[in-house]
Amino acid sequence: MNRPSNIVWGGIGVLFAVFLLSPLALVVLFAFTSRPQSAFPIEALSLRWWEAMWVNPNFVPALWNSLMISGTVGLICAIVGTMAALGLAQLDERRARLAAAVLCLPLMLPPLVLGVALLSFYSRARIPMGPQTVIMSHLLFALPFVVLVVYARLRNFDFRVVESARDLGASPVRAFFTVTLPIIRPTVVGAALIAMALSLDDFVITFFTISKGMTLPTFVFAMIRTTVTPAANAVGTLILVMTIGATLIALWLTRYRG
Amino acid sequence: MRDRGATYLLLAPAALIFGTLFILPLAYFLVISFWRVVLFKLKPDLTIANYLQVFELHLPTLLFTLGLALVIAVVTTCLGFVYAYLIRFKAGRLGPVLLFVALITLFGGYLMKIYSWMTILGITGVLNTALKALGLISEPLPWLFYNVGAVVVTLVNFLLPLAILPIYASMRGITDIEMEAARDLGAGGWRRFSDIVVPRSNTGIMAAFALCFLLAAGDYLTPQLVGGKVNMIGVQIAPQFGGLGNWPLGSAMSFVTLGSSLAVILLSIVLLLQWRPR
Repeated sequence: MNRPSNIVWGGIGVLFAVFLLSPLALVVLFAFTSRPQSAFPIEALSLRWWEAMWVNPNFVPALWNSLMISGTVGLICAIVGTMAALGLAQLDERRARLAAAVLCLPLMLPPLVLGVALLSFYSRARIPMGPQTVIMSHLLFALPFVVLVVYARLRNFDFRVVESARDLGASPVRAFFTVTLPIIRPTVVGAALIAMALSLDDFVITFFTISKGMTLPTFVFAMIRTTVTPAANAVGTLILVMTIGATLIALWLTRYRG
Repeated sequence: MRDRGATYLLLAPAALIFGTLFILPLAYFLVISFWRVVLFKLKPDLTIANYLQVFELHLPTLLFTLGLALVIAVVTTCLGFVYAYLIRFKAGRLGPVLLFVALITLFGGYLMKIYSWMTILGITGVLNTALKALGLISEPLPWLFYNVGAVVVTLVNFLLPLAILPIYASMRGITDIEMEAARDLGAGGWRRFSDIVVPRSNTGIMAAFALCFLLAAGDYLTPQLVGGKVNMIGVQIAPQFGGLGNWPLGSAMSFVTLGSSLAVILLSIVLLLQWRPR
C-alpha cells in the first residue's frame, strides 16, 4: 500500500470512530457539568447532577427494577439458551442454522411492533403487566444472542471428552455438570452478560409492557420529556457504564476476536 | 447415533418461549387487525375497514416513511460496508480496535444516542456552540434540528454498528489467498473489489440492509425527539395503543408497514443480486 492511500484510510477510520463514539462520550461529559444545561461551555466539573439524580424519588425504584429485570433475564437466558445451544449442537449443521435463524426473527421486527403486539397479547391473556411481563418480553430478543454465542462455542468443542465421561459411567446430566459446563462456563457467563446489557438498554418494549413503574431507560425518557437537565445525562451515564461494562466483560470472557 | 428425545427436550424451553411470546402474540395481533372497536372495547369481527382506513388516512405518511427508511438503510449499509472493508483489508493491526468501537456502540444507548443528538444539534447545542466559537457563524443555525436531516443522522448513527457487524462477518470469509491469487492472475484493484469483495459480502450486505430498513421504518422515538414535525408511520402507530386506544387500526398500520417494508427490501435485494461486475 502506498502512503497517501494509507493516510486517506486512516482519516476515514478516525472520522468513523468519532461519529460512532462522540454521542456517547458527550452524554458522559455533560453528566459532570456544573451548569444547568447539557451544553458547552462546561465551566466547572461537578457532581451536582448525580446528586439530583439520587434524590429524585423515582430513581431508586427504577434502578432496582432495572437490576432485577436484567438479572432475571440474564439468568433465564443463560439456562434456556445453553440448553437450546446444546440441542442445536446435536442437530446437523443445516438444520441447526435454520433453527437459529428462526429464533433470530424477533430481532428483525421493529421494537415498536413487538412492543404493541405483546401489549395486546398480555392484555388479552389477562397477564397483569409489570416487571414480570417486561422480563418475558426481554427474553424474546435476548435469548437468540445467548443461543448463538454458546452454539458458536460448542461448534469447536471437543465432544470426545464428554463421551469419555459417559463411557466411564457418568449420566448425561452429570457429564454436563462435571465436564461440559466447566469448559464452556466463561462463554455462558459472557453470553448472559450480553443478554443483561440488552435488557438494561431496552426502552421501547419496556415502555409498552411495564404498565406502571419505571426502569432506568423509561426514567430517562420521563426526564427528557419534561425539563431537560444534565441529571438525565447522569442516569444515561449510569446505563452506559452498566451496559458497556457488561459488554466488555463479556467480550473478554468469550475471547471475542471478531 | 444421538438421542432424538434428549435433543428436543433441550430445545423445548426455547421453543416454548418463541411460540408463546412471539408466534402467539403476533398471530393474535394480526387477528385483531380485522376487529373493530366499539365503545372502547375490542369487538371480534372480520372487516378490512382498518386496512382501508390506513390507506385513506396514512398513505402519504407511509410512503414518506418508506422513502426515508430507504435513504437511511442505503446510507447506513454503504457506510457500514466502507467501515467493514477498512477493518478487513486496510486497517492492519488497528482492525481489532475499530471492530471494538463497533461492538461497544452496538450494545447500549438507543435512547441515550437520541438524547445526545438532541444536545448536539439543538439551538444551544454542541455544534452551534462550536461553530460560533470558531467564528464561522454569528447566529445559531436553526435548520440543524427538528427536521428530516436530524432524523437521518441520528438513525444512521444508531444503526451503523448493526450494519457493520454482519458485513464484516461475511467479509471475514474472504481469504488473503483468494485476493492474492486474483492479483497474480492480473486482476486490478477494482476488479478484485467487484469480482470478489462485493459478491462474497452479499449475505452480510443484504442482512444489514434489511435490518436497517425495518428498524428505521418502525421507529417512532427519533422523529418525535429530534424530528419536530417529521411524521413517520411509527409516530402514528404508537398513540393507537396509548391515548387513542384504537388497537385494530394500530395493528393494521403495523402490518401494512411490515408488509410494504418487506416488499421494498425484497425488491432491493433482487436489484443488488443484479450486480454483474465487469
